Amino acid sequence: MFKSLPFIGYWQKTTFTLWLIAALCFYFADTEIISLDPWSELRLMAEGFLRPDFFATEYLLEALWQTVSFALLGVVFGLLWGAPLALIYSNRFVAMLCAITRSIHEIFWALLFLQIFGLSPVTGILAIGLPYGATFARVFHDILLQSPKTTVQTLPYGTDKVSRYFYGRISHVLVPIMAYIRYRFECALRSSAVLGFIGMPTLGFYLETAFRQGHYHEGAALLILFIALIGTISLWCRPRLIAVYVVAALFTLPSIPPVDGALLWRFITQDVLPPALQNLTTWSQIDLGVMQSLSNWSQNLLVEQAFPGMIVTLLLALVSLAMAHGVAVVGAGLASNLLTGKLVSSGIHLCLLVLRSVPEYIFAFLFMMLLGPSMLPAMLALALHNGALIAYLTVRQSDTTQVSPHYNGRIDGYCYDVLPQIYPNLMGLLFYRFEVILRETAIFGILGIASLGFYIDSGFSEIRYSSALFLMGCTALLNIVVDIISRRLLIANTGTQISCARESGLSSVN
Amino acid sequence: MLKFENLTLKYEDKLAIRQLSLSIKAGEKLAIIGTSGAGKSTLLSHLYQCLKSEAAYSSQKQGLVEGLSTYHNVFMGALARHHWSYNLFNLVSPFKQPLAEVTQLCQELELDFPVSKKLSELSGGQRQRVALARALYQSKDIFIGDEPFSALDPLMSRRLLDMVFERHNTVIMVLHDKSLALEHFDRIIGLKQGQLHLDARQDELTSEMVDDFYCDIPLTAASHVLAVSDV
Amino acid sequence: MRLLQMVCLALLSTLSTSALSAVFTFTAIPDENESQLRTRFEKVAVYLEKELGVEVKYVPVKSYSAAVTAFRNNQVQLAWFGGLSGVQARRLVPGSSAIAQGNEDQFFKSYFIAHKSADLLPSDNFPNLNGLTFTFGSKSSTSGRLMPQFFIERNLGKKSEDVFKRIGFSGDHSRTITQVQAGAYQVGAVNYKVWETAVENGTVDLEKVSVIWQSPAYPDYQWTVREGVDNQFGAGFKKKIEAALIGMKDPDLLKSFPRHSFVPAENADYEPIENVAKAIGLID
Repeated sequence: MFKSLPFIGYWQKTTFTLWLIAALCFYFADTEIISLDPWSELRLMAEGFLRPDFFATEYLLEALWQTVSFALLGVVFGLLWGAPLALIYSNRFVAMLCAITRSIHEIFWALLFLQIFGLSPVTGILAIGLPYGATFARVFHDILLQSPKTTVQTLPYGTDKVSRYFYGRISHVLVPIMAYIRYRFECALRSSAVLGFIGMPTLGFYLETAFRQGHYHEGAALLILFIALIGTISLWCRPRLIAVYVVAALFTLPSIPPVDGALLWRFITQDVLPPALQNLTTWSQIDLGVMQSLSNWSQNLLVEQAFPGMIVTLLLALVSLAMAHGVAVVGAGLASNLLTGKLVSSGIHLCLLVLRSVPEYIFAFLFMMLLGPSMLPAMLALALHNGALIAYLTVRQSDTTQVSPHYNGRIDGYCYDVLPQIYPNLMGLLFYRFEVILRETAIFGILGIASLGFYIDSGFSEIRYSSALFLMGCTALLNIVVDIISRRLLIANTGTQISCARESGLSSVN
Repeated sequence: MLKFENLTLKYEDKLAIRQLSLSIKAGEKLAIIGTSGAGKSTLLSHLYQCLKSEAAYSSQKQGLVEGLSTYHNVFMGALARHHWSYNLFNLVSPFKQPLAEVTQLCQELELDFPVSKKLSELSGGQRQRVALARALYQSKDIFIGDEPFSALDPLMSRRLLDMVFERHNTVIMVLHDKSLALEHFDRIIGLKQGQLHLDARQDELTSEMVDDFYCDIPLTAASHVLAVSDV
Repeated sequence: MRLLQMVCLALLSTLSTSALSAVFTFTAIPDENESQLRTRFEKVAVYLEKELGVEVKYVPVKSYSAAVTAFRNNQVQLAWFGGLSGVQARRLVPGSSAIAQGNEDQFFKSYFIAHKSADLLPSDNFPNLNGLTFTFGSKSSTSGRLMPQFFIERNLGKKSEDVFKRIGFSGDHSRTITQVQAGAYQVGAVNYKVWETAVENGTVDLEKVSVIWQSPAYPDYQWTVREGVDNQFGAGFKKKIEAALIGMKDPDLLKSFPRHSFVPAENADYEPIENVAKAIGLID
């Protein structure tokens, strides 16, 4: 056994460690399978998908359009504030601010803005635009950093600053930036649909109700429409039409209800404060008693909600990560025409498209019927969605890799010739995805898995804004710490920086 | 026009040019030869720094922009001639006059495809000519070129060199192809390890002198030079 | 700068016009069948418009907490709340009052339903639920969470977390029935009306899941109106709303809630709910 030690390389070790950690997490996580009789419900679901009812949903076209329009305006808003920040992203304070904004899931932002703006389109657009803007700032900054500086050096003497910047720098990054914006627009469509779960008038509004109430014919139709919407982006989202869409989106927004200034003020100055501070009028009233009850409050929250929530969040995310690794490796293998031939690989390709388009929520719902209400359904849902996405991106690379003339087209040939070439990239994508998985656990919290999202949702539904905000802070902190650690590990071990921009490879998928 | 005494230059913290004295007169056609790492590019970029306002510079790093069209890449030579708002508008929708000029120039450079073609679709030789076109489009008095023909065949190199001569009063060029240098330039200087080892007028220079200049170079470097000039 | 000013002015003007135009807005989520919400409740809006003589708009919401927020922010002036959300809303907007409730809401109840594998028999005595798995409905539901949790904690003498092996929030009464029927949870708490409709429609398999206990009666759903509607829409407006609601006789409209009729109600009717919510720590 020890003889083979020198042959175990960096990636084997990383993979082994990942699975070891995941196995440990799996042991501690709640993964009990409890479901005695899922079949009658599953039969109803299957019937729904066999005979989808496209006419059961009221105002369906409006919902479709609002899904697009929220996504579009969200991305535009994100660009408006994120793109300029990219220029000063090297400032530590700006970077920190963006990291915090980014680390909070759209759905939490929406829950927060819901308290301020109510059921207003502003809520939805801000909820998408804020985290997206922060992501844009970082990714654009990364892209700008990597752009060649030679053009600026060769420009004619006396060229003015503006022309220098646009011809010398911006023109270099325009193509990758446009590709990234296209990719984020696809993400925004998903986010926009998800915001329907909490009341925005998008597809998700009806999708969630239909599945929750067991109207599977309607739910299936909505899901099919949603996948079709994402699958056909390249057909209806022509660059020339975008300006028209934006103007149309602005004009067809649902009416913006007025915001009562006094209530907004009360929200900021009172409702979000911990109970101990709520009824104070002057600073001088802060005494030992107040401090005591403040520390009790935060201690209770930490012990009863924040820590258990963090542990569940981490367990869930880590196991999902390892499972996603499995899905990605197997999926990439099966979908590679180097291994399985044209027919099978294109079938698997289609599967991967469906898997990555269906919101995790729907998978979790299905698995919950099959396996019972433990963490297992959420793990599987996250693993399938993210694994399929990584597999998809990896296959695009593996289809262009050069194989040796002796390549035999069998699994052993694949493992010798293709896998070593695509593996580093696959792992890079996987680790980048971890940040995303961690954020996505939020949705499962709202579905009832006791992650941090669960407690935040409870805080909002019990109208305890202070606890909700406190826990949102904890979520942001957790995400930032995990992000820093994983970045350090990756840089230390591979000397490469994982950039979100890698994902923009997806943009040309459609 | 330009004169140095005991010039010393650094390139990435290493001495590239040592105590070099040189004077260049207006109207001269000057070729610089030498092996890789002799300090040619460093000298050239220094010359450009001194002559900036009157010179067009075609660098070895072509500085082309992949995402832009051929037209825009060439137009960048004229950035200094226009107001920034003109330049920005042109980035979105090309103006007629520069478009006609650039199309004409590209045809002369034997770039026989629409100027709207994206740079990323061009071959190595085509790119080099686009970079050259950008330098020509600057319409300056002096041309400073750092191996502007390295990716082209010898016949085309000669044709293009004539174009460069036609349009510029003074030409300073680093060349690998020594026969090109011997046949067309009035004056040839040779650099070796940052120092001037050869400086002769064309009529006083022979092929042997050039061979002598290259001969005490380590074998590997010399073979590299030959390989390149064979292209 | 000029452009900025113009944009600001334009924005302000849209805000203020919508604030000035007196549209009376209400929201409602029925306790069962949330499909076609707008189509159904816009009919109610038309009825109210006719009775009240002002423009009436319906805003669909997804959850009780969203309804409470909209009420607090004065984006709706009238809301059909559950027992708990009504209490929460009236605490947030002092002066607002419950004005009508469904006939059935005066003596509402919850059913505990169990999968046959749990071996629990229907009984008048509170069942022994120790060590089982249990699901509530939505987190802020009165009949699906608040009252069941209260009865469990009072009858078994300990916190619900300590009673059960696993506690879930299915999110909805229909989901509770589905999940218990599938055996995902052994026991669940549902709104009695949702259960009875499901049994009538034949969507429940009584072989697999059955009612094992019913709770004592408590007050539930009610219409709550904000204070200040009289100032905004004219004196006596509140009385007019009350009359319009109680006078709603069209079965087609009532079916949306679904209630047989509406009867007068007042804040004091819901004191028991508030006390229960305080007792189990849902409100401070």
